[in-house]
Amino acid sequence: MNFWQTITGSDLSRDWKAFEARAEALPEDYRAAWSQIKAELMGHGDFTGRNLTPIVDAVLGLLEESAQEGQDIHEVLDGDIKGFCAALVGGEDAQTYRDRWRRQLNRNVAKKLGRLGG
Amino acid sequence: MGIKDIVEGKKQWREHMARVKALPPDYEIVYREMQKYLFKVGPVALSEGNLLSEIVDFFEEGAANGKGVLELIGTDVAAFCDDLIKDSPTYADAYQQSRSAEHAAAEE
Amino acid sequence: MEDLTEMLKGTLEGCVLEIIGGEETYGYAITRRLNELGFTDVVEGTVYTILLRLEKNGLVHVAKRPSGVGPPRKFYALNDAGRRELATFWAKWAYVSTRIDTLREGGR
Repeated sequence: MNFWQTITGSDLSRDWKAFEARAEALPEDYRAAWSQIKAELMGHGDFTGRNLTPIVDAVLGLLEESAQEGQDIHEVLDGDIKGFCAALVGGEDAQTYRDRWRRQLNRNVAKKLGRLGG
Repeated sequence: MGIKDIVEGKKQWREHMARVKALPPDYEIVYREMQKYLFKVGPVALSEGNLLSEIVDFFEEGAANGKGVLELIGTDVAAFCDDLIKDSPTYADAYQQSRSAEHAAAEE
Repeated sequence: MEDLTEMLKGTLEGCVLEIIGGEETYGYAITRRLNELGFTDVVEGTVYTILLRLEKNGLVHVAKRPSGVGPPRKFYALNDAGRRELATFWAKWAYVSTRIDTLREGGR
């Protein structure tokens, strides 16, 4: 069963069409990452499309805003799409990832504010 | 302002980000980094509340009072974010819950 | 005194309730009051996250009033539920503090 077959309900497919349209507008390297993220989330097996929707919505928000800032996609995902996606859906290692995101946030703020002051 | 607005109301989202751009540079930097962090963590308050626009309200007030952003929220920006969403479950929580519910149903 | 963050956790909300209970006030003034008391590490952001929670939990009455500079300011006053919460806080505080004092004095 492929991704699109999994997404059956009509309101769901409307959501996903909107997601794909947003993804289309991303730069190329971001679009490649998006495909990988999609595949990875699918790999989580018995997922319910409906419950995944807000997660995907937020990820696209992240990709859109990061792309607009001209950030390197590898930096956004911390070079580890698999772990990143596992953290997005929660579960065992999510806490480790959240700690990484925390440090990433404070590091980026310090770096960028430092540049501003200097 | 929820993230649903990104999908359903591009206009609202643009207006929201226009407010962000109008903030002093230090506030804008911190806001953008916070927003990315929140997108990753995925608190349900993103779509069920006004989390993001409330942060901008608060930042506008701080900036108007002539404070620097770290003076306003402290240097541990991540701790500030976590405080903000302390009571909010995340999308991941909801997803995990639905999965274990499905498992339970399948086993019956 | 510095480095009180951990110890203040859990009591700061009660302190904010107490300050609001005295008279209707706003975030910056609450922070100033706490700083003057000697809690110098408390920043406005911390107070802001507490105020958001109080508001969401229905413990305060909120009114927006114009301020001299910048956007309108949110003023907070306790409602009945907030006053009950404050009474509960002081009861818990009395319980904990008398026992800790007893421990320190070597009594039982």
